[in-house]
Amino acid sequence: MAKDEAIPLSPGRKTRSSSQLSPSKPSPQNVYPFSSQTQSQELIHCLYTSEEPISLETLISSFPGRKPQILEILRLVGSLNSPMFPLLIYGGPSTGKTIAILQIFRYLNRPFVYAGCRTCYSPRILFDSILRQLLLHGRNPIKGNSGTKRYEKPSEFIDLLRIALVQGINALKERNLKSGSEEVDRGEMIYLIFDNCELLRSWDKNSNIVPLLLRIHEMLKIPEVGIIYISSSTPDAYYLCTGSIEPITIYFPDYTLEDLHGIFMRNQPNPKLYSSFLSVVLKPFFRVTRRVDELSVAFQPLFQQYCKPLVDRFVVPDEAMKRKLFDNLQPYLTVSLNELFTVPSWSSHQTKQEGDHQKKGISKSNRKETSNELDFHMSMSAKYLLLSAFIASRNPATLDASLFDSSGGLINRKRNKNSQMSMDRKDSMAEQILLKGPGSFPLERLLAIFQCITSVAESMVEEEQYENGTAIESESFGLTSDVLLQLSSLCNANFIWKSGSCPLEGSTRYRCTIDEEMAVRVAKSINFPLSSYLYRR
Amino acid sequence: MASEKALDCLRRRLCDSSFVYSAFKSTPAGNYSKLKFLISNTITEACNNSVLLLGPRGCGKGAVVDMILEELKDEFPEIISVVRLNGLLHSDDNFAVKGKQRLLYSLLDAMQTLTSQSVVIGISCRLNILGDKKFKEILDVLSSVDNTISNICRFLYHAISWMHFESGSLTLDGFKNALSCMQRQPMLDKLQGASVLEFYILVCMNRLGSREQNSFNFNSIMKEYKAIQDAYKTSDNYSWSVCLRAFEHLIERELISFLDNRMRSLSIEYRPVRLLLSSQELHQGLKSNSFCPVSNINY
Repeated sequence: MAKDEAIPLSPGRKTRSSSQLSPSKPSPQNVYPFSSQTQSQELIHCLYTSEEPISLETLISSFPGRKPQILEILRLVGSLNSPMFPLLIYGGPSTGKTIAILQIFRYLNRPFVYAGCRTCYSPRILFDSILRQLLLHGRNPIKGNSGTKRYEKPSEFIDLLRIALVQGINALKERNLKSGSEEVDRGEMIYLIFDNCELLRSWDKNSNIVPLLLRIHEMLKIPEVGIIYISSSTPDAYYLCTGSIEPITIYFPDYTLEDLHGIFMRNQPNPKLYSSFLSVVLKPFFRVTRRVDELSVAFQPLFQQYCKPLVDRFVVPDEAMKRKLFDNLQPYLTVSLNELFTVPSWSSHQTKQEGDHQKKGISKSNRKETSNELDFHMSMSAKYLLLSAFIASRNPATLDASLFDSSGGLINRKRNKNSQMSMDRKDSMAEQILLKGPGSFPLERLLAIFQCITSVAESMVEEEQYENGTAIESESFGLTSDVLLQLSSLCNANFIWKSGSCPLEGSTRYRCTIDEEMAVRVAKSINFPLSSYLYRR
Repeated sequence: MASEKALDCLRRRLCDSSFVYSAFKSTPAGNYSKLKFLISNTITEACNNSVLLLGPRGCGKGAVVDMILEELKDEFPEIISVVRLNGLLHSDDNFAVKGKQRLLYSLLDAMQTLTSQSVVIGISCRLNILGDKKFKEILDVLSSVDNTISNICRFLYHAISWMHFESGSLTLDGFKNALSCMQRQPMLDKLQGASVLEFYILVCMNRLGSREQNSFNFNSIMKEYKAIQDAYKTSDNYSWSVCLRAFEHLIERELISFLDNRMRSLSIEYRPVRLLLSSQELHQGLKSNSFCPVSNINY
């Protein structure tokens, strides 16, 4: 494959250096562009899965709830060497489309080329991947195509694809003739499988990649080629792009409760125990999400918890034990339901609660802990800077002057809290914050507010004593030192979002992304009276 | 097995466009005969000509041209050569000076010179191409009769795939299935797959929309959701982050979408969204969803 090596393959570099023509230096890893990916994709390089073919029974039994779809696909793909119309397999995410197709081809044991539009994220990489898989199969690569990147354009790709496919088909025919009846007949068809087709739409608005791929069958006009598309968006999403040359559609509906039960019961060492576990957890979780991937992530720690009181994991639970296990799990269940998909914090719960096994109070005590303390460290000046960013994001810029007097201190506003007008304004203000999100502000405003609140903090000691008796220690803050450094680290931590420059002023604008709860926590940790600085209070 | 062979034969015929469209050959006054006469005339008289075929997609424009060219290649061996240009493939700057239109015009201009002899056959499904005056002057229009032969082919292909092998007969189930596959309503399919919480969010959005609130985002949806939970005291009161995840699922399912793609810098909960389905569709989806209690809520 010496010729192939000359084609630069590292995908990241390729898109950016499309104008640059010098071929990059070949390295051994470059030969197989997808060797780091999942096993199934790697195996497809030789056009077959190298795994042993499976029987129809195993195929169907390994996909609970998918029997009608699998049989339908098998019917439409047809018998050996039978031409086919293009198929479009669609259904929501995590409904087993890709794995079902790959296993179907393992069962059929026919040559195919798999190209996922998620991993091959640009037309060039996609074309490259398809041709490479075909040429590796055809054993004698076409002369002259290597080294020069000739299939940058769709027309060249189609030409080369046609040549490669004809070569591949001829090779298959030859082998079938030679081997006669000795080997299993794998047919003379080559199937092209395009996965994640929904992503094609977002690739390049100007390119014709969607109609090109969806009409590839019509353009090639080779009856020995079967095309299968896999998409998570419905066929109508492509109507605008393609016209009437639609593929035949097969719909993978989302799993029902029974299907999910069947899926989670597969390969369980103690099916009775797991079944009783599922009878507890599956229904409540099913109301939140129907995706297998998310459910399995949520169930794993819960099952650990469920099994904890058990000495023997292979025990067959009776009714009393089931109830006991359920009582044990119940508090964790509600916490987990509301923290679905946040795995790390769940594990921290576990470690915290390791000691006491009290049923009640798990969620409550945790809430209390988290609401009062910050679970990370930040320097004093970073906290002030973050708070001033929060204030700048929350308050309208026009009100700065009324909030801070010339000396930087807080003006004591006298407000009539009960008047209808201020109530109305408060409502509309809250509404606006809900709708618009945090406002953006220029650096100058942030620094000005920062100046104000730090100068207040320094002189606060005396004021605080008159006002409510709680005093903060008079530290000599080096608050204004390296503010910009702090700002950039806050940006890196994603507490402050640096957005593009304002079209009118031309300067970079910032936005504070933390929510109020967090801001209050930060303010508490430095005894800063945040609420008196916020406009709507 | 004989029935398998029969099925294979049927599939081959349906997939072969020259077989499917060969029916056109037999009608003497049809477009097939007209076009063939026109082209062969041009070849025998050694002049230039151009034709534009118009018609909806999948009515066999390309197939007819292919069949004619195959026949003419036999009739006039070594005289004609075929150059195929495809708008999808050859609209690049390198192929024509500026896009498709220019390519066509330069082709047509080249025909004015006497040194070359050619027939240009254009195929398009866009009837609005006729608005172009220049085309009107020079092109002979053939309107196509048949509508969607390729649709019928796909329907038959789907139906015969259900052939019963033992008896070798086609089944009624097959035809029913093929029909239902063609009449699928994708929005309802998508809606069927939604979880209860996702339905709640859709209902909240529908309520906001029906109150003529012109713009809403996840935060205002959450406010509505909380209001529903307070009013009806359901068991489906989930936390903010769980709802946000369900919200993301809905975006992934393309049941809702962001109003504006430019506001990427805002975090997801502030970006305004819109419902991609009508309230009738939502109502239908709720009714057909047996496990969903949301339908009890007056929305």
